[in-house]
Amino acid sequence: MIEYWPWWLGALGLGGVGIIYLLLIGRLLGVSGSWAKVVAWKENRETLKANRALVEDTAAMENAFMAETLAEFGEDAVKELQGSYPEADQQEATVAVEDLEATTPWTAHLTFLLSIFAGAFVVAWYNGQFELRLDLSDVHSRIFGDTWEVWLAMLFGGMMVGFGTQMAGGCTSGHGLSGCARLIPASFLATLVFMLSAIFLSMLMEVMIR
Amino acid sequence: MKSFRLKQHLAYSVVGLIFGGVLTRIGFADYDELHKMFILTDLRMLYTFAGAVALSMAVYFVLNKRIPKQHKILQPGTVPGSMLFGFGWAITGACPSLVFIQLGHGALPAIATAIGIFIGVWLYKKAHSRYFGWDTGTCGV
Repeated sequence: MIEYWPWWLGALGLGGVGIIYLLLIGRLLGVSGSWAKVVAWKENRETLKANRALVEDTAAMENAFMAETLAEFGEDAVKELQGSYPEADQQEATVAVEDLEATTPWTAHLTFLLSIFAGAFVVAWYNGQFELRLDLSDVHSRIFGDTWEVWLAMLFGGMMVGFGTQMAGGCTSGHGLSGCARLIPASFLATLVFMLSAIFLSMLMEVMIR
Repeated sequence: MKSFRLKQHLAYSVVGLIFGGVLTRIGFADYDELHKMFILTDLRMLYTFAGAVALSMAVYFVLNKRIPKQHKILQPGTVPGSMLFGFGWAITGACPSLVFIQLGHGALPAIATAIGIFIGVWLYKKAHSRYFGWDTGTCGV
């Protein structure tokens, strides 16, 4: 039996992950958001393409304007114009690039999800916790039995998790960790509701198998 | 542009690896531990979670200006969605990240859960664009 981290060490680790995510990626941690991006990969790819086309169009348009201006007024006029607004010109350019980069490619989100799996696998293997098994745990089998119906329960449970987190606009990490830490009222409500529903159903299951 | 993409993928994968390792050592993949938390006989993981929120709260308070504005609003789906998620969590022992931790431990039924989550997210996307259409404020862009 493996010893798990005491609560204070776990809190440091879990809080630390959220902070590292913010520092490295510049957003707040939210795993259901990553799921949504991976599932909607086709739309995500199209948005990226449209953004890129827009930036290229803008560049092409600017070049055309510049050529037009050169033909009309000559080089001196252009130089004078550029001299008078050097900052404005630069700002516009950075905004366009940022718009393009603001749409994270869906493959980055997929990388994130697969890395969670890889990290868990490595640590579990290292601690001798890795074990291919057809059930989740003894308690889970005690509640749901150990027939094939368990797999159906998992499938439907998973659908509830997927549908529910998208509907609520966040999950344990997005609402619970990031949202509550930012003191967002909707996140407090969501966290309270999903914890209480999980507690309610678990208590009910516990009573029913007794 | 290319190197930016590569860095972005690297950043996501580094955070993902740490996230997976930390959740494993806390014991979130263990349905027994989770169930003990939900029937309130062992509150270790609840304290872990509360402690992580408190720590993040303090750090985010200091970094206040540098944090992008969160778009999380109270919307018609907040309560029913969270209820559905809570029930699903109690049944499968998996939230959208924990399912990967279970898979990392070699628990094969988690494959069914992962497929279920995929279908659920996809169904919501369809249902949302056809019937609901309100602003859910899901994480990230």
